[in-house]
Amino acid sequence: MDKSEVLRYLGHKGQQLSRGLDLEIDEMINKCRDISKPKYVYKIYNIKKHPDGVEFLGSSLYLFGKSVINHLKGADKCAIFAATLGADIDREIAVMQKTDITRALILDAAASALIEEVCDTAQNEIAGLAKREGRKITSRYSPGYGDLSLDYQQKILNMLDAQRKIGLTASTNNILLPRKSVTALIGFI
Amino acid sequence: MKVLEHLKNNFLLFDGAMGTMLQNEGLRDGELPEVLNIEKPGIVSKIHRQYVLAGADVVTANTFGANSLKFKNQKYTVKEVILSGIKCAKESGAKYVAQDIGPTGALLEPMGTLTFEEAYDLYKEQVLIGKEAGVDLFIIETISDLYEGKAAILAAKENSGLPVFCTMTFEKDGRTFCGVDAVSAAVTLSSLGVDALGVNCSLGPKEILPVVETLAKYSKVPLIVQANAGLPKDLGGKTVYEITPEEYTNEIKKMADLGVRVFGGCCGTTPEFIKSMKNYLDTVKPKEIAPPGVSFATSGTKAVCLDGRTIVVGERLNPTGKKKLKEALVSNNMDYVAREAIEQAQHGADILDVNAGLPDIDEPKLLQKVIKEVQSVVNLPLQIDSSDPSAIEAAVRVYNGRPIINSVNGKKESMEKILPIVKKYGTLVVALTLDEGGIPKKAEERLNIAKKIIDEAEKYGISKEDIIVDALVLTVSAQQEEVLETLRAVKLIKEHLKVKTILGISNVSFGLPNRELINKTFLAAALGAGLDMAIINPMSPGMMGTISAYKVLSNEDKDAAGFIKKFASEEKREVKVVDNENTSLFDIIVQGRKDESAQKVSKMLDEGKDPLDIIENEFVGALNFVGEKFEKGEIFLPQLMQSAQAVKNAFVVISDFYQSRGVKREQKGKILLATVKGDIHDIGKNIVKMMLENYGYEVFDLGKDVDKSLIIETIKKENITLAGLSALMTTTVKSMKETIDEIRKENLPCKVMVGGAVLNEDYARFVGADYYAKDAQGAVQIAREFFKK
Repeated sequence: MDKSEVLRYLGHKGQQLSRGLDLEIDEMINKCRDISKPKYVYKIYNIKKHPDGVEFLGSSLYLFGKSVINHLKGADKCAIFAATLGADIDREIAVMQKTDITRALILDAAASALIEEVCDTAQNEIAGLAKREGRKITSRYSPGYGDLSLDYQQKILNMLDAQRKIGLTASTNNILLPRKSVTALIGFI
Repeated sequence: MKVLEHLKNNFLLFDGAMGTMLQNEGLRDGELPEVLNIEKPGIVSKIHRQYVLAGADVVTANTFGANSLKFKNQKYTVKEVILSGIKCAKESGAKYVAQDIGPTGALLEPMGTLTFEEAYDLYKEQVLIGKEAGVDLFIIETISDLYEGKAAILAAKENSGLPVFCTMTFEKDGRTFCGVDAVSAAVTLSSLGVDALGVNCSLGPKEILPVVETLAKYSKVPLIVQANAGLPKDLGGKTVYEITPEEYTNEIKKMADLGVRVFGGCCGTTPEFIKSMKNYLDTVKPKEIAPPGVSFATSGTKAVCLDGRTIVVGERLNPTGKKKLKEALVSNNMDYVAREAIEQAQHGADILDVNAGLPDIDEPKLLQKVIKEVQSVVNLPLQIDSSDPSAIEAAVRVYNGRPIINSVNGKKESMEKILPIVKKYGTLVVALTLDEGGIPKKAEERLNIAKKIIDEAEKYGISKEDIIVDALVLTVSAQQEEVLETLRAVKLIKEHLKVKTILGISNVSFGLPNRELINKTFLAAALGAGLDMAIINPMSPGMMGTISAYKVLSNEDKDAAGFIKKFASEEKREVKVVDNENTSLFDIIVQGRKDESAQKVSKMLDEGKDPLDIIENEFVGALNFVGEKFEKGEIFLPQLMQSAQAVKNAFVVISDFYQSRGVKREQKGKILLATVKGDIHDIGKNIVKMMLENYGYEVFDLGKDVDKSLIIETIKKENITLAGLSALMTTTVKSMKETIDEIRKENLPCKVMVGGAVLNEDYARFVGADYYAKDAQGAVQIAREFFKK
């Protein structure tokens, strides 16, 4: 895990770290690795663009919005993926908040950095598939970005059978649970 | 023949996958499969029929996700899809129709926002519809969280009287996504009274074998296996499963040998798999599984075996004689409760006793709350301790796992009230050897009472391995002659009744100096008399040391491995003497030396320094200093927090100082804090809380996912004039607005500050807040301005 990413999540802007704090950050990064159970799942669909949104062929998903059309410009295929660190890290952060909240904050930041790393791994795998077709991929795009509604969260999880496959759910307020989780779209261009 | 009768002497064969088959028939990704019960009943019936023709005894109705949560805003109601699903299943001509009940789709508390009670209601609705439609049994499946399983099982049993089967899905590491291991699953599901339990989905049959072996060891009911057709493989975006029906059946053979009696298939299995299994099962007879012969208490993710080892039950979560805990319980300070639980766990307790008995309090409600809080931070099984049967039942109901009830006694009334709860929820129970005549003097009489309770329990179907007898410790300063009689009773009870024993050790020393010496001497004697479980203070090194030593002497700690590990490292560890004689409190705080501040303040108080002066000048001065540095960007958040934690730790010393003198510290003002409904991100709110408390404000922390009605109620009750609300997601900013609207509507003289990752000045205006705090330091500034007036 890139320590500078963890520091970035903590709002670090070059301030000098005491040796104690520096060690604590290393310790939390290791703990985060030990406890997390990263998992991801994805599927690739042919898509069709419409004036008001994007249709995922062979499925019941139709994403309304200008921003998603824009993001998938030039794409006729799209991967949908979901990734999570699992429930254990949530529990550890919650427990640590009761005893040492600074460490809890650092662990939380480490987990944020790690889930991004897991997303990068998934993205590289998808990029590999695209490459075999001689194509490139777009960056990741998630519900909640631009005008893409968060209400798609549950639908995306259903498409991927994500609860069964990686234990990922969404609350009625569209919060992904376990918390350190991401869903996203990646276009093939 | 009813299904349970069939199961007595025969294998029971379920069907295979429904989802896989529906996909082959053109079900599109993202569609709810249950909708097809109404839109394409012919296809659903046809699939059921294929399974019946392949030899399945039971078909599983296509109702896995048919609950009101998933069917919110759908074109059909839950009732419509379940009724039509069961109709399709019945039309197949199957011997038995099972209503399929899957997870709700939402994560339960404490990790999620769905409460146990809400989950129960969702399941209850499904069960009532199925019962009306005439299903033969319920199969609760693909469960990953035992707590959710419990909600479903209770809903099915309490509302139908029909057989209930339950299966869970495990990962390669032998645990479910929620961390449940196979022992906890077998023990907890058995104790909840399911008619069969096992695994489904998960992995292929080969990979799942170790889990099945464990279940076979500890289950008290017939086992079910419905595995996937091997591991899924991705073939160009399409998922395929890798093993053949014959390979699947080969694995099934091993499981039948282990005593598995109910078979079927999950993802990727087809009628060919069922047919292949059927052909095999017709050639063999089912085997009995041996009863486990040992007892376990469990939490949601941990099983603790109570046989063959010395068990430490942590005593600290009991307000009797504990002023601080009493205060925390009265004022709903669950953080204190949580910390007590965490510390006991860290010091080696195996089980925690939990008691919330206080005069003039709604004990059932409080005990439920404490149980939920404790289970959110430790994974140890709990011993639910109360003299009020309604509090016991309330707590046992919302408990995740298999608890111990403390206690029943030999009084007729106690047995009549407690034993049905023990039976219904399948708990363990502590039996006190007292009855209408009080505590008998003689050991023989206590033995008789223990026997009476065990006999009575047997009538309820409670086996004696689930009863732990407490021969009752008397106080040596009051009844010196009878203290050793208790130990004689322990010996007699073990010898004659062959049950486990427990004692609350610390009772012995009330009223004496050096209580720990008396306690640990008595503990050693009790262990020598055969005591299995000791209720003690795990934070006491002397008591825990005695336990460790006894485990070596009694040959429990083989080769003294545990003992050597514990004490060799302890001897090596240097005692760190902090020399902060010449460092000022100011510097200690500014440098964030959070482990040194308490000691320093303690010394300053000893030297006669005024505590109020320490708060007002030392704490606030140092906090202001680091606050400014933070605002200027000279330090970043973790550094600010280290300083805040240094003050927080020192504050404990000051609070103790005031408390020991019976003085109530004057607070600077009351502030309510809450993360709004639907939002569960609370680390930011907790940081703000610490900072505000450090400045001497009294914070009413309502926690996360807080209903607006509770916020209103607390503002009114406590006359709160400043409330801080936090939201981290754009979706929950809406509930922030609703909460503030409600405060305004009620015309409460309470100002509102808001904060959280997604918020900014614009959002703050949009939700109607009075103040926007951009970070924890900002919240402090607002509070200081506000209360200056």
